[in-house]
Amino acid sequence: MIEFTDLTKRYGKFTAVDHLTLHVPARGAVALWGVNGAGKTTMIKCLLGLLRFDGRITVDGCDVRRQGRAARQRIGYVPQELAFYKEMTTYDMAEFYARLKDAPTTRIATVLEQVGLGEHQDKPVGALSGGMKQRLALGLALLADPPVLVMDEPTSNLDTAARSQLLQLLVEVKAAGKTILFTSHRIEEVEALADTVAVMESGRLHFTCSSGALAQRIGLRTQVKFMVPGHQIDLALDILRGDGLAARRNGVGVIVDVAHGEKARPIHALGRANIEVIDFELE
Amino acid sequence: MNGKIIWTLAQKELRDALHNRWFLLYTIAFIGLSLALSYMSLAGAGIAGFAGFGRTAASLINLVLLIIPLMALTVGAQSLAHEQEQGTLAYLLAQPVTRVEVFIGKYLGLALSLLASLGLGFGIAGVVLALANGAGSPMAYISLVGQTFLLSLTMLSVGFLVSALTKRAGVAIGIGLFLWLTFVFLGDLGLMGTAITMRLPVEQLLWLSLLNPLQVFKMAAILDINATLDLLGPAGIYAMQEYGAQLRGVFLMLTALWILAPALAAYMRFRLRGDF
Amino acid sequence: MRLLSQARVAGSVLLLLLFSAFTLPLRASASGQVTPQTVAETTQCGHVSLQAMIDEAEAGDTLVVPAGTWQAPIRIDKPLTLEGQAWPVIRGDGSGNVVAITAPNVTLRGFVVAGSGKSLDREDSGIRVSAPNAVIENNRIEDALFGIYLERAADSVVRGNTILGMALPISRRGDGLKIFYSPNTLVEGNVMRDTRDAILWYSPYSVVRHNDFADGRYGLHLMQSDHHLIEENVFRNNSVGVYVMYGTSFELRRNLIAANRGPSGYGVGLKEASDVLMEGNRIVGNRAGVYSDSSPLRPNTTVTYRNNLFAYNEIGLEMLPNTQNNRFQENILLDNGEQVNVYGGGDLTRNEWAFDGRGNYWSDYAGFDANGDAIGDLPYISKSLFDSLIGVQPELRLFQLSPASDALDLAAKAFPLFAPQPRMSDPAPLTQPPALPPTPGLESPPTATNIVVAVAMVGVALTILAAGLRRSKRQRRAISAQPA
Repeated sequence: MIEFTDLTKRYGKFTAVDHLTLHVPARGAVALWGVNGAGKTTMIKCLLGLLRFDGRITVDGCDVRRQGRAARQRIGYVPQELAFYKEMTTYDMAEFYARLKDAPTTRIATVLEQVGLGEHQDKPVGALSGGMKQRLALGLALLADPPVLVMDEPTSNLDTAARSQLLQLLVEVKAAGKTILFTSHRIEEVEALADTVAVMESGRLHFTCSSGALAQRIGLRTQVKFMVPGHQIDLALDILRGDGLAARRNGVGVIVDVAHGEKARPIHALGRANIEVIDFELE
Repeated sequence: MNGKIIWTLAQKELRDALHNRWFLLYTIAFIGLSLALSYMSLAGAGIAGFAGFGRTAASLINLVLLIIPLMALTVGAQSLAHEQEQGTLAYLLAQPVTRVEVFIGKYLGLALSLLASLGLGFGIAGVVLALANGAGSPMAYISLVGQTFLLSLTMLSVGFLVSALTKRAGVAIGIGLFLWLTFVFLGDLGLMGTAITMRLPVEQLLWLSLLNPLQVFKMAAILDINATLDLLGPAGIYAMQEYGAQLRGVFLMLTALWILAPALAAYMRFRLRGDF
Repeated sequence: MRLLSQARVAGSVLLLLLFSAFTLPLRASASGQVTPQTVAETTQCGHVSLQAMIDEAEAGDTLVVPAGTWQAPIRIDKPLTLEGQAWPVIRGDGSGNVVAITAPNVTLRGFVVAGSGKSLDREDSGIRVSAPNAVIENNRIEDALFGIYLERAADSVVRGNTILGMALPISRRGDGLKIFYSPNTLVEGNVMRDTRDAILWYSPYSVVRHNDFADGRYGLHLMQSDHHLIEENVFRNNSVGVYVMYGTSFELRRNLIAANRGPSGYGVGLKEASDVLMEGNRIVGNRAGVYSDSSPLRPNTTVTYRNNLFAYNEIGLEMLPNTQNNRFQENILLDNGEQVNVYGGGDLTRNEWAFDGRGNYWSDYAGFDANGDAIGDLPYISKSLFDSLIGVQPELRLFQLSPASDALDLAAKAFPLFAPQPRMSDPAPLTQPPALPPTPGLESPPTATNIVVAVAMVGVALTILAAGLRRSKRQRRAISAQPA
């Protein structure tokens, strides 16, 4: 559905994206993974025709440079943080973009209901909460029911509750058969939404893998803090180290460094030694 | 190009104009000042037993020269730069619209809102003048409004060019204000100084001054109202004798050039830009 | 604007025609008792020429000429009265004069005279009079190079005629009315359009009254001629309304002198004219209201301006710096682009800008009147830096009405170092405009049309603004109608 062929983008001497080739299959969901500055957002801006670039990008066979409108007609875009015309109401905003996308106005009500904003359509956009804004952004992207959804860090500015709410929506959207390309630096988001992950480093495609294999491939580790009774701390440290885990004392608890997917292992180890785990938290 | 998209964008600009404090302020100032001028000219007409539209029109020309370029330049300078700064422009361009549609839509919307502002200012003053028997020929009044609209378009185009060349609204407005000073004061004062020191022949003086679209507007408006330029002394008389009936055409051409050239340049810059 | 003025011309011509149609029969019957039978015979016979009728008539006869077209040229070489009945037309073949009057005491009344030659050298005329005591009355002269030409025709009367010039460039037109070496002539109630000048040359003691002269070069041209009364005329849309050149003793009273424009357009031009009184004139919308050059010329004479209105002229008073012994009192100088200009720079301080303790009303007077005697406590002083500049360098007029020129004046006020020398000072400016006598030709503007136009402008503006809001409201109804 989306083809990046030999995409290169330079800002002066700095090369943001370097001869990158990537294929996003129809109905597939690809996550772009990488640290800030790896070139993820640049790729998306190139895809939307906002930047000039070398190489070639097509969406459903439409060349982004030469058939920009056709390409963008196939894309619903959710930016990292939607810049709003603050004085417009939710409904007016949706209507404005519906007309630009040539979507039927009857879609507006449907979409606003779908993203849970049916009751807020007369509110000025500036008065919406962060989560609502991001859901509105998703709604706007879905107005014309495009086959492709492109998102740039869709949940990065949200609190936990809003994030899970949006993620739930996105999972539904994916199930409806959209092709999805998004950037993220949250492993749970990638695991929930993506089939494939393209890991980027300094503008190059480092490797691709399935979303399930990502944590392992990049050696993702988590620090878990366990609260154990004070007199058992030293014992706990011994047991954990004996189990091959890196553990250290931290005040009234211990901190253990575990690989992604093995967060329950220290609990079992401590349980076997009859050390009471009062509480734990992820750092 | 898609007409519906252009009109949608133009409508959006019109709505924004209604919410834009500066725009409202300019409009109210313009209405107020033209009313004040009408009132003053009515007082005169009472003394003279004559409608003083000629003089009202002259004062209106002066007022228009001061306010309309300021309004159009700042509005134009904000047009693209403000949205770019807000980040809304990038999102807009990510929609299935082309840049020419965005450009024309914005230009059309702002041009219409300027026209609305002029219509209110001139219209309300005109009603007052007419009710008090102080108005002159309606055709002259209409043509003055028309010329003013063309003037506002020249300045809007220049403003768009400024906007396309800058990224920050503050900078764009600063440049717009400087250009306003140049068009309204500095250019004319410089030319006056040059004329005095260099003893410019009238022909050169005329053409140098016609480089300024404000002067073109002024001459075209005077020509419409008085049917002659002798008010403007030797240079005006030279223009009448040398170009006569073609003068209107010359003014129209120069105005069209000032509308189209900066707008085209602004569009080219906007189209080639890749930094949103 | 042009349409309107055409309509006005047409209107006044029509009125005149109506007026003449009513008055003609009355006059004919009053004077027609002398030889009525002559008339009856000639009207029976269509082939008889007007010239033949004249040749047959006795001196002192009255010929009543019926409607129809009569061949020109006509020569009237004996004292006769010719009365046209229902506008007979005397038509020339486009050469020479149409009617030539060579005998004294001829009256020509109620004719349409048309079709003179076009030679400026021969001064081809509609009616050419070269003997005294002629009465040229209620005729309509059209398609003639010179309209009415009086040459050594003292004590004549030119009254109630309409003179329409040929559609020629101004340089090839003749004078609608030329009065040459004809003292004591009365020019009264004539309408003249599209000719060159109405000129009185070496014709002292002539009176010009109640005329309407428009769309020519000089509305009225007084040339080397003394002792004239110019009263209650309208001089409009000419290059110069009234030009007085080289003469003594003129009174201009209650004339309307408006919209006289062009490169050297003046309402009133005075060149070496002495002993002039201008009183109660409305001088409105001209390029310059008055242009004054070396007037008064004779020692111990003055040019006196009393109770005139100078309004909406580009320049109210334009005077050469040598101007002196001009006296001004109770004039209104209202909203002229420039109230007083010294042509070529200099000052006008050797004139009396007030006398008998009363000056003039200046619309831009910025003083005050503390003691309430309606006379300003500070003198009115004309000193604008920009005005001074354009006095010295007239090309800079190009920058009139520009905010830049206002900025210059403002700067000169803020920094008195740059302030120019005052060019004139009215020591007793009036704080209330004095009452003006009525003049002919005042008109009211087309109010209804203007209201419609202005309201339409507001309407257009509101429509545009509504277009920005309309659509979303309509759509909102659609969504609320839809079940959630």
